Amino acid sequence: MTRRQLIANVLVALALVALAGWLFTVVFAMLGTRTDWSKAWEYRETLWRGWLVTLQISFAALLGSICFGLLFMLGQRSPLVVVRWTCRAFLEFVRDTPLLVHLLFGYFVIFAPLISRPLGEQGFDDKLIIGVLLLSVFEGAYLGEILRGGVESIPRTQWESARAVGFSPFQVYRYVIFPQALRRVLPAMAGLFVSLIKDSSLLNVIGVAEYFYNTKNFISRSYAGLEGYVPLALGYLILTLPVAWLSHWLEKRFRHET
Amino acid sequence: MKLEVTSLTKCYGKTRALDGLSLAVESSRVLVLIGPSGGGKSTLLRVLGGLEIPDAGTVKINGAPLLSDAAALQTYRRKNGFLFQQFNLFPHLTARKNIALPLEKVLGHSPAEAHEMAEQALARFSLLDHADKLPAQLSGGQQQRVGIARAVARPPEILFLDEPTSALDPEMTAEVLELIQELAEAGQDIILSTHEMGFARAVADQVAFVAAGKIEEVSPPASLFGTPQSALCQRFLSRVMRY
Repeated sequence: MTRRQLIANVLVALALVALAGWLFTVVFAMLGTRTDWSKAWEYRETLWRGWLVTLQISFAALLGSICFGLLFMLGQRSPLVVVRWTCRAFLEFVRDTPLLVHLLFGYFVIFAPLISRPLGEQGFDDKLIIGVLLLSVFEGAYLGEILRGGVESIPRTQWESARAVGFSPFQVYRYVIFPQALRRVLPAMAGLFVSLIKDSSLLNVIGVAEYFYNTKNFISRSYAGLEGYVPLALGYLILTLPVAWLSHWLEKRFRHET
Repeated sequence: MKLEVTSLTKCYGKTRALDGLSLAVESSRVLVLIGPSGGGKSTLLRVLGGLEIPDAGTVKINGAPLLSDAAALQTYRRKNGFLFQQFNLFPHLTARKNIALPLEKVLGHSPAEAHEMAEQALARFSLLDHADKLPAQLSGGQQQRVGIARAVARPPEILFLDEPTSALDPEMTAEVLELIQELAEAGQDIILSTHEMGFARAVADQVAFVAAGKIEEVSPPASLFGTPQSALCQRFLSRVMRY
């Protein structure tokens, strides 16, 4: 760093700190007297339960979206033109409509009348299961496109060489195409998984008692402000940051390899 | 090997890569295909190697007809070897793993056996120093040699080489050609296409001139290069031999 850059950096840093400090002072001055952190402590159990549900939803939907993503990817590479087109149309529809609509329509119109009662009788939480399913399909549609891009970016010679050494079609994917394609799409996949964790908060509209839903209830019951929103943001950061770090780490590792 | 190819046709869209090609070779150890680019050498090799299904025509190799269903072709590919111009190796695997993986997953050897066989294949072509390198860390010539080592790690019935040196500089070309000659002298059946006429002459016992999707001429190298019969072949050779 040259001397001029150093000075410029210091000046900009000072300005940013001053701006942030001013913003905080103003906000806290308005809320200051009313902010009571003991409220959040009182509701710690429901918040903790909600956070655990969000963790479960994220994890289940992550696995689910991988299954759907693979399915959509293979569907689009099917030798049958009808399968390809159906898949294409479905993906386009899913990707071009809001998740909120999927959840409301998918739950209240399609799945709740169909399977809510049998699920309930078996002792399952129908909202949770249907919510995870809908979230998985939505994120799976994006993942399907990411995977397809990755698979199609592998040069033709690789497919041919893999066939030439005698691999079966499944082995071609398993040993040659996927390992290379996954490396290429890893950053995009990590970005998607971060979105998935954040999107899980939308499940509150069908009444799943996840982190956002419980926090919202706590806020409206206790007239909390900052005491509710700060833990809310932190709770999601705790889930998303490790995913982001993991992806940066993997990306670096694979870059050294090739 | 004995080869009988009758009226083979293969089209890609509107282009006829093979146009009723017929070829009969009674017994040949090393068959070399020469001819202008786009004349059908690669397509013929790919059909013979079981990578492409022809639109029409039949192929018999050593008396056995080449079938056209996917499962039969996979079995067929497993007992032969095929090498392309470049990018044969899997870039995410080391040289050793490139050789060992097919041995393990295709031929069912145990990991230890496959490792041992890969080691031997690398040692045979003095590539052992590069065993743990990734393809990107090898020169083009080394990559092709590892590719050949992979193809012959379990001796194939026939080794197919599609312009194995076209992407290499002269020095690397020499190192790869030497290796192929070594294999030929060791008795390996080989069908290859090349633009290296000197090499074709030295290593082949039958040379086929392929142009416009047909075989124009087949004969031993001395007569094909010395007294070519077809006008197309004469013109092609006089052109490529000029410089």
